[in-house]
Amino acid sequence: MEWLNPYHLQVASFVLINVILGVSIYITLSTGQLSLGNAGFMSIGAYTAALLSTQHHVPIPVGILAGSLLAGAAGILVGIPSLRLTGVYLAIATLGFGEVLRAVLINWESLTGGAVGVAAIPQMGRVILAWAGDRGFSPETLGLQGNQFIALAVFLILLLSTILSVAFFLRLSRSRVGRAYTAIRLDESAAAAAGIPITYYKVLAFSQGALLSGFAGALFAHATSFVSPGDFTYHRAVEILVFAVFGGSEHIFGPVFGAAFLTVMPEALRFVSDYRYILYGILLVLMMIFRPQGVIDPPLMRAIRRKRKGRTA
Amino acid sequence: MTALLSLKEIRKSFGGLAALSGISFDVRPGEIVGVIGPNGAGKTTLFNVITSVFPPTSGEVVLDGAPIGGLPPHRITKLGITRTFQNIRLFSTMTVEENVLVGRHCRSRAGVWTGVLRTAGQRREEREIRSKAGELLELVGLSGADPDSTAGSLPYGHQRRLEIARALAAEPRLLLLDEPVAGMNEAETQEVFRLIKRVQSLGVTILLIEHDMSLVMKACDRLVVFNFGRKIAEGTPEEVRNDPQVIEAYLGAAEGGADA
Repeated sequence: MEWLNPYHLQVASFVLINVILGVSIYITLSTGQLSLGNAGFMSIGAYTAALLSTQHHVPIPVGILAGSLLAGAAGILVGIPSLRLTGVYLAIATLGFGEVLRAVLINWESLTGGAVGVAAIPQMGRVILAWAGDRGFSPETLGLQGNQFIALAVFLILLLSTILSVAFFLRLSRSRVGRAYTAIRLDESAAAAAGIPITYYKVLAFSQGALLSGFAGALFAHATSFVSPGDFTYHRAVEILVFAVFGGSEHIFGPVFGAAFLTVMPEALRFVSDYRYILYGILLVLMMIFRPQGVIDPPLMRAIRRKRKGRTA
Repeated sequence: MTALLSLKEIRKSFGGLAALSGISFDVRPGEIVGVIGPNGAGKTTLFNVITSVFPPTSGEVVLDGAPIGGLPPHRITKLGITRTFQNIRLFSTMTVEENVLVGRHCRSRAGVWTGVLRTAGQRREEREIRSKAGELLELVGLSGADPDSTAGSLPYGHQRRLEIARALAAEPRLLLLDEPVAGMNEAETQEVFRLIKRVQSLGVTILLIEHDMSLVMKACDRLVVFNFGRKIAEGTPEEVRNDPQVIEAYLGAAEGGADA
């Protein structure tokens, strides 16, 4: 079991959290709303889960659920006034929301611990190991060391969460609601004329994106056991957006691919050290020139599907 | 017979410009009513008022005896008025079928959870939506299209017909067609004429904006003529054709003619 490297598992875990974040921005983008607030919603989920478990000893799953729902509720509150804004104006307003939230996290020291953040958050893997250990389980029976087991447990929980999130929104995107989202993105007036209540679906999508960001944040808190305002900066908001821009924002697998690729690449390029972000930048510029719609788009997915069908036929 | 749609003293001003001044007329069930008039006469503005894209400055839109002014556009659609657009507004990167599926939105119910869980009811509804879409594509003569082809890749004339299919998917009582044969050749115009007549025979009332006079004269039971935001004539195609005010609006006043 030497190959089960905790470092690789940790990178894989971050990939999964980023995939969920990528899906979260895909949902808001699928109705044509450009949000840079997802890092802010992520911080709501992360801090809610972190504070509930460290200060009130709430069980981890309950804290994660509470964090997601609170972020989703915040999404409704931000989403409704944002209806009047589109395009870059919405991006700026939501960016402002995220930065205001971060300022609150830094300055409300009695609750949030200020700029230092919240430490010693129960880590999912350790909690599971302790729970299993109390019942006479030792990771050695699986041929694993303690830290391997912890990293593996976190990875598996995140994998399950990611699969469920992607499956949920993949199915949604192929349903009546998903068609309404796409119609709104492509032409709001025509969608309204086709009988789609624009306001309802835009707020719904905005709130779903916020909820999913909060979910990712809560998972992040319990995967890393430490959160601080520095985790949810402007940089993070843009990073999330880039997942969708790079991978493609018109099909759910676009941001999934974008998040996975853009998280693994800097790690894989560690041998060039500081130059890796230069390569990252060059890659993005090349993408904008040669495939501005992102790597994955609906025609590509249709072609893949047809090819697969052709093979089975 | 009572009117399906009743317009009462509709005024619409944009700033100081009166786009519609006191428009009143009725559309009776089963009719095809043509709205004609020179460019800028306010025909499309009227459609936008009826479908609540914007509210009238004053006046009332009455559908089946109930005022519908001020309702959001999707409610108007659900009440049974749908439309096509002068400059085609399809969901161009969606497939041909998906465009019609979207048009069915207000006649279906599946929400987030039923859509994700794919409940028996949701799957039944989805099958119903698809079979209805298939019927409509056949009605407008697009059933042969590649199911994966996007709406934007269709030839122009087909896009116009797809827009009609999308509008029909909501099962309208009243269909508003905004220049359905604009830019079409003689053969295509004939096809759309036959399509309009078939839609009428299915029990849909039609309000038609069109510049193609041969089509309007042939297809419409009654005509309403606009000029500079006013209704200057109303009647059968025959009556309107001989109306001096209409002739003046289209051809200009005769030299030294009356100031009527």
